[in-house]
Parts: sequence; structure tokens; C-alpha cells
Amino acid sequence: MLGEALAVLAKELRSELRSRVALNAILLFALTTLVAVAYQIGPYRIHEEDRPHLLAALLWIILFFAATSGLSRVFVKEEDAHTAKTLRLAARPGAVFAGKFAFNLLLLAVLEVLIVPLFCVLLGYSVAGPLGLAVLLAAGSVALAAVATMVAAIIARASGSGTLFAVLTVPLALPLLVMLIQGTRAAAGSAEVAAVLPALRGIVSLAGVTLVSSAFLFPVVWHD
Amino acid sequence: MTRLSNILVWILGAWLAVVCWAAFHYAPTAQGFVGESARIVFFHVPQAWVAVVAFCVNLVASIRYLRTRNPLDDARAAAAAGLGLLFSILATATGSIFAKVMWGSFWNWDPREVSIAILLLVYAAYFALRQSVADEERRGTLAAAYAVLAFVTMPFLVFVVPRIYWSLHPDTIINTSGTIKMESRMLQVLLGSVAGFTGLFAWLYSLNVRLARIALRRRQREEG
Repeated sequence: MLGEALAVLAKELRSELRSRVALNAILLFALTTLVAVAYQIGPYRIHEEDRPHLLAALLWIILFFAATSGLSRVFVKEEDAHTAKTLRLAARPGAVFAGKFAFNLLLLAVLEVLIVPLFCVLLGYSVAGPLGLAVLLAAGSVALAAVATMVAAIIARASGSGTLFAVLTVPLALPLLVMLIQGTRAAAGSAEVAAVLPALRGIVSLAGVTLVSSAFLFPVVWHD
Repeated sequence: MTRLSNILVWILGAWLAVVCWAAFHYAPTAQGFVGESARIVFFHVPQAWVAVVAFCVNLVASIRYLRTRNPLDDARAAAAAGLGLLFSILATATGSIFAKVMWGSFWNWDPREVSIAILLLVYAAYFALRQSVADEERRGTLAAAYAVLAFVTMPFLVFVVPRIYWSLHPDTIINTSGTIKMESRMLQVLLGSVAGFTGLFAWLYSLNVRLARIALRRRQREEG
């Protein structure tokens, strides 16, 4: 099973390195939004007392909507290229989901590694607890990748449109987004990792239940 | 419709009429609220309760559909979601009226308001998904998978997020210490209203399912 999942991940990486469609979509969306936000707000336009919350919200809005512009491709491209049937024969559903989930997780990691430091520089966002923020980003990425991968599998079997992906993902990811914004605000204000723990508990639980339910639901969606 | 169900519908109508009368004339005026605004609790809470019950019925029918692939279970899930959407809208409207009287604004972005708004979005997304799939069996499978995925994220919305953010919303009926703080006559009316609204949901749901059953039989006759 692990070997099959790694093979699916390797296939995804090779395919993405050839086309770079998802990576380009996500990064360009994030960069464009970040530049627009930074140009309008910059480091001085928001009052000092509003900065921790507003900047945390802006950071996650940029990351979340950039992610929704590319994460659906993992399954949509299989349906578009008519390779889904071959993939069904080549690997078990669990391995397909795990491989696609890992690929989406890597995409999110690349997005965050590039965008978060840029966001901090352009908007003058000082984070007192970088370790807490890093843990939060990692947990948030796992939860977001789990939700996005499962919804991508659903919409690929429906109309496959990007609009439908956003429509289905946003309500499911909003509780996660609220907890991430709250946690990021706490990380920005405190050097202690314990400051992010209340939000982190919720995020880890959400990631856990989403992954477990996806493990049961994915075979049904994949083989319908 | 059988004679017994006819009698039950009349009893339900009379019960709801008594609840309406009791909400305005039997229950005393609540302390700490503007004017008589607290009386809306006798309609708002049962509506929110029915929205959650509908979501649970939708989940059970969805799981049954994934196991049996019986089109009637898909129709049951859709009927419950439709009624859930209706009662969510009613709960949002009555909550907004209360918010306007109490806090001077129809919408305050209170965590409870955000929770019900996201619940509305989830139901709306469920129907957007259903409308985007032409094939009936696939529509049932994908909608059921999405319903299960949405259900597992709901506890975070209902229980976790309102506890992370400070809320204007009055304490829930059964508060965090597990006790009920409500005057006896008010509690009687509220429980009566909850029972009445649950009965109303059951009646509307059974009507929807009967309609779906008739439509299914007609189609089967036409096809075969």
C-alpha cells in the first residue's frame, strides 16, 4: 500500500514538473493577491491594535484562496485526460488518495514557504512565536489538504468545475480557517508554543476526522 | 393519507396553535432582555433544533444510500436537506430579528451567527453539487459522500468555534455546566415548541418522501 501511494505521489510530481499547471496557478494567484493587498495596506495602514488579527486573517485568506485555485487539479486532470480508469486499475483507492493527498500537502508546503515570509516582509508582520506559527501552518496544511483532496475527488466525478470546488470547499474549510486565524494571531503575539495550543487542538482534531472519514468515503466516490 | 395520519396532522396543528398562544400569554417575560424580545426563543430554538435534526436525518439517509444504493434513500437525504435548509433560513431570520432588537443590528458576525450562516452554505453547496450531476446514481453517491464529510466538520463549527471566540449570543439552553437555567413555565413552552416543530418536520419530511416514492414508481412504470 505504501509503495503504491509513493508511486502515485511520484507520478503526480513528475506530471506537475512537466506541466507546472497547479504550482503556477497557486503561486501566481497568491503573489498577485499578496501584491494587491500589500500595495493597498502596506506596513503602516492598519492601527497597531488591529494588526495581529487583521494580518492573520489576510494571510489565511491569501493562502486559502490560492490553494483552492490549484488543489482540485489532482483529480480533475485525471478525468480530463481520461487516465482515471487506468489509475483505478493500477492502484488501490487508499493508495490513490494517500498519493494525491501527499501531493497536495507538498503544494501547500511550497506555497507557505514562499508566501508567508514574503507576507511578513511586505506587510511588516512580526511574529513573536515563529515555532508556534510553523506548527500551526503544518497542522493547517494537513487539514486543508485532506478536505481539498476529498472534495477534488467529488467534483472530478461531477462537473469538474473550479467554481464547484470553491463552493463545496469553502463551507467545509471555514471552521478550519477560523481556528487558523485565531492560532496565527496567538502565535504573532506570544513566543510560547502553548499560546497556539487551543486552536491547534481543534485543527489537529479536524484533520484527523477528515482523514479518517475520507479513508472510508474515497473508495465509494472513486469507484461509483 | 390514512385516517390515523389525518388525525395526527390535526393534532399537530392544534399543538402548534397552543404553543403559539402559550409563547405570548402563558410564559412570563424574561428578565435582562429588551421588551418581549426573548419570546422569540420559543420559535428560534426549535427551528435551529429542527435544522440540526434534519442534518442528522440527511446523514443517516446518506449512509444508508451508500450501503444500499436505494434511490429512495437518496430522496430521503435530499428531502431532509431541503427541510434543513428551510429551517436554517427561518432560524437565521428569527435570530436576526432578535439581534436587531437586542444589539441594534441584524447581523453582528457573532460566532453563532457565523455557525448558522456556514450551515446554510453547506446545505446550499449540497444542492449545488446535486444539480451539477446529471446521472442519478452518481448524483446520489457524490451527494451522500459530501453530506458525510460535511457532517464530521459540523461539530467544530457548532461546539469549537463559538468557544474560541467571545459571543454575544445568550447562553445555550443547556449551558456549559450541563444545567438548564430557565423559568419552569418558559421551559414547558420551549419543550412543547421543540416537540411541535419536530412533529412539523416529521410531517413535511414524510410528505416529501411520499412524493419521491410516487415519482420513482411512475418513472419505473414508464421505463419498464
